[in-house]
Amino acid sequence: MSKKKSASVSTGVIYVVLIVWALTTIYPIAWVIMNSFKDKRKIMSDAFSVPLGKLFTTSNYSEAFEKVNMLTAYRNSIIISGCVALVVILLAGMASYALVRYRFKLNSTLYNLVIAAMMFPVFSTIIPVFRMEYNWGIAGSGSVPLALLSVILPQVAGNMAFAIVVLTGYIKSLPIELEEAAFMEGCNPYQIFFKVIMPLTKPSFATVGIFSFLWSYNDLFTQQFFLRNKEEWAITRLLLEISSKEGTNYGLMAAVVTLVVVPLLIVYVCLQKYIIKGMTAGAVKG
Amino acid sequence: MKKKVLSALLCGAMAATMIPVGAVSVMADGGVSLNVTTTFAGTESNVQLYQDTVKAWEDKTGNKVEDSSGSADETFKARVISDFETGAEPDVMFYFNGNDSNPIIESGKVMSIDEIRAEYPDYASNMSDDMIPASPVDGVKYAVPFYGYWEGLYCNKEVLEKAGVEVPTADTTWDQFLEDCQKIKDAGFTPIAASLAKEPHYWFEFCIYNQGTPADHAKLPAAIDDEIGKKWTAGMADIKDLYDKGFFSENTNSATADEVFQSFLESKSAFYVDGSWKMGGIRDGSDNIENFTVTFVPGKGERKSTDLIAGLSSGWYISKKCWEDETKREAAMDFINFFINDETVSQFAGTATTALKNGVTIDESALTSLEKDALVMLKSASGVTGAAQDLLTQDERSPIFDNMPQIVEGQTSIEDALQGVLDAVEENAE
Amino acid sequence: MNIYKNKKPALFFLIPAFLFMIVFLYYPFFQNILNSFMKIKNLGGAAKGLNDPIYKNYLKLLTDENVLIALKNTGIMIIVTLVGQVGIAIILAMLVDNIKRGAKFFRIVYFFPIVISATALGVLFNLIFQFDGGMLSQLVGHNVNWKESFPLTVMMTPVTWQYVGFYFIILVTGLNNISDELYESASIDGATRWQRVRYISWPLLHNVVCTCSVLAVTGALKVFDLPWVMFPNGAPLGKTWLTGTYMYYKTMQSPDIDYSSAIALIIVILGVVLSKVVNKIFKERDY
Repeated sequence: MSKKKSASVSTGVIYVVLIVWALTTIYPIAWVIMNSFKDKRKIMSDAFSVPLGKLFTTSNYSEAFEKVNMLTAYRNSIIISGCVALVVILLAGMASYALVRYRFKLNSTLYNLVIAAMMFPVFSTIIPVFRMEYNWGIAGSGSVPLALLSVILPQVAGNMAFAIVVLTGYIKSLPIELEEAAFMEGCNPYQIFFKVIMPLTKPSFATVGIFSFLWSYNDLFTQQFFLRNKEEWAITRLLLEISSKEGTNYGLMAAVVTLVVVPLLIVYVCLQKYIIKGMTAGAVKG
Repeated sequence: MKKKVLSALLCGAMAATMIPVGAVSVMADGGVSLNVTTTFAGTESNVQLYQDTVKAWEDKTGNKVEDSSGSADETFKARVISDFETGAEPDVMFYFNGNDSNPIIESGKVMSIDEIRAEYPDYASNMSDDMIPASPVDGVKYAVPFYGYWEGLYCNKEVLEKAGVEVPTADTTWDQFLEDCQKIKDAGFTPIAASLAKEPHYWFEFCIYNQGTPADHAKLPAAIDDEIGKKWTAGMADIKDLYDKGFFSENTNSATADEVFQSFLESKSAFYVDGSWKMGGIRDGSDNIENFTVTFVPGKGERKSTDLIAGLSSGWYISKKCWEDETKREAAMDFINFFINDETVSQFAGTATTALKNGVTIDESALTSLEKDALVMLKSASGVTGAAQDLLTQDERSPIFDNMPQIVEGQTSIEDALQGVLDAVEENAE
Repeated sequence: MNIYKNKKPALFFLIPAFLFMIVFLYYPFFQNILNSFMKIKNLGGAAKGLNDPIYKNYLKLLTDENVLIALKNTGIMIIVTLVGQVGIAIILAMLVDNIKRGAKFFRIVYFFPIVISATALGVLFNLIFQFDGGMLSQLVGHNVNWKESFPLTVMMTPVTWQYVGFYFIILVTGLNNISDELYESASIDGATRWQRVRYISWPLLHNVVCTCSVLAVTGALKVFDLPWVMFPNGAPLGKTWLTGTYMYYKTMQSPDIDYSSAIALIIVILGVVLSKVVNKIFKERDY
């Protein structure tokens, strides 16, 4: 009886803590969305009030849509970031699996190389990458698919290191018994990776996919370098054009942020449903 | 399996190399495709006009413009520089002509105006040659100027009225200006909205200007104690004086430029020094543009208040790569001429400075009150000079500009900061 | 078992990923290292010969007081991210793992801060900490110059807050790699909630927490966007430099590319060394 009661008290405390943190994370996004419906002149002076009555306007959105072709940019963004996420998941998954399970002399060197690669700032690598891709004819060629490819390639590499670091952490925690069981049944390492590791660590791959997508999507710097003409622009590049250079047009900026964030949240909600309880133990028995 | 992956990668790489660069340059219907890069992008006020003009040119000639313009931020500048280094430079470019263009001039990949005139004697003949800025690298003129900027003292009339202060005029002296600031401060307002943390350069410019004349303003010191060096030290002492008297925004050492500009718009501050481009910001940010005016920054010593700072900081370039391609050359010349004729320049310039021999033609009825005030100011100008800071590159000016809060606080001495600039200049000259 | 005795498949698994990194990261970064010995002014500009002496930039690093400030602040930042970001994220992840209703909701909303661009968050926090009429100034009833009075706190709070969600997601994923059945059998054995956390979740999470700590340490060395938007040029009075913001400053704001290349190299070396230390600390503890 008393045990149950204390359990419900502690559950209550848990919810209070979680809700308080949730408020701090919901508020800013709500603030941005609210301000996207405010007259740009009112944001600095009336930053924290709700846009009702006189304050309410949709002019920021009409201004955004008037100026540019959003749909092409959304399409380009999804192609770029989707490809980046998929390739990163696959290749980083394979590399992590090998780094965790195979023991060879270079193991720790390779791991250090991965950590180092994660630290390379994009501004120190972008110029050689641009020259290389220009000589290959994929950067600055004027063709839209090639321009998208020219962004995808460095972004795949850029997210690879992070993905390997995270995935090795997860794969290390996997009980090796499963792989042994599969091996007994005659699977080779390739089959083990695709049939045992990948399905078992689906949540991990989803997580890595989410972040790769997110960073590729938000990586304005690379986009500014490689996406030149309007038809090539991805959404963040496009929105840079309409959010103010002078920086004073916060209304338009809030609308722009909202337009950028919405597809991201959709992708996140879709992918995070894979982050569910794994079935490791069940699989062992099976 | 490994082989498959490798061969797939190699195939991809080969397929990519087989597509020739610039294959799209001549189109089937005989039109030419021009690669154009400009800074007309983002919220730069003439973006729409630029795009319409490009469209009109395309319709007239049947040529096509591959437009890779971008807002002139640091990334864009790095992109343009690396394009020239890589060989991916545009055919026609509208870009800065000061220090930002140095790497481009040094690459030797743009045509000088003289070289172009050797074949097209009438090129830019409607511009007065004296006003065409030369490259800081070699003193040669490369870019045909379009329209420029001026800097002035924006005033919030409501605050001035409440503080019982008149809008400064051509006759207002520096001492009177200081008195006015004191009055404004006593009335409970901020006299000068400024962010010394982010944008100290306007006040730097005018405080230095006030130690000399238009003739010797745009010069660099060679040593701390030479004539120009003394001007600079005295000028910065004036900024420190304004700070010590409490005339700048209270949080000037940490505020963003937006934050102090907002306090100016909201009638909490009286004065704000900025460039001609800020007229658009005031129009967009305020409900009542009549409340604002612009006038001369009060002068001191030999500098008359009516001596302005103004310049033509960007211009049109043609790349060598384009010049050597006969069909492209014709199209590029036609494109630039379409922009730099008197009529188009007037449309773009409005009240801004130009290099036109005949001056601009403006329809005054379409102007806001602020623009009319600006026009009055420009018409009564007695002298003009470019900005001294334009003689320095970003890293050279940073010991002063990025340390202004430390300087006014007395944490860094003015002499040390200036020495930092001189050292950087010397190092870069090596 | 000898599944992994034959090392050949390892090449198949490793080569594609490393090929990408060699071409697009190591090779460019090798150039970056070379650049740190040359004279290069602008990003993308040509080199004008070698530095004199050739190691000039590395000498300069030793005497540049901003580097010292940046290292000190980054040190603080590392501790703050480890304790603040990873610590809070662990607590939140454990708590969410222990509730039945609403877990999905929390997982979604905790992600929000990461998706908003640093520019927009910077504007929001600038308005919150604004001197005149900012949210906090309104709360305390008079104007306080937060940014100048408490620079490091004002800079680090938003950064910490923003990335809690990131580690939270990684940890939650780690917890989900743990089977429900383990918990169930523990419950049947009469384990309390605390015991379940202490003896099941925590040991199994060990590797993931180690990953998070590596990410937090390296992240603190790299971070520049939000601090830069709020405190450009090390404002106020050069007190808030971080290694990330200082490198950005030397690349973009006051370009001196050879010098910023040297800073980049130092950041990479620090990152590798510190992540080794983290891994070592975690390895010694055995569960």
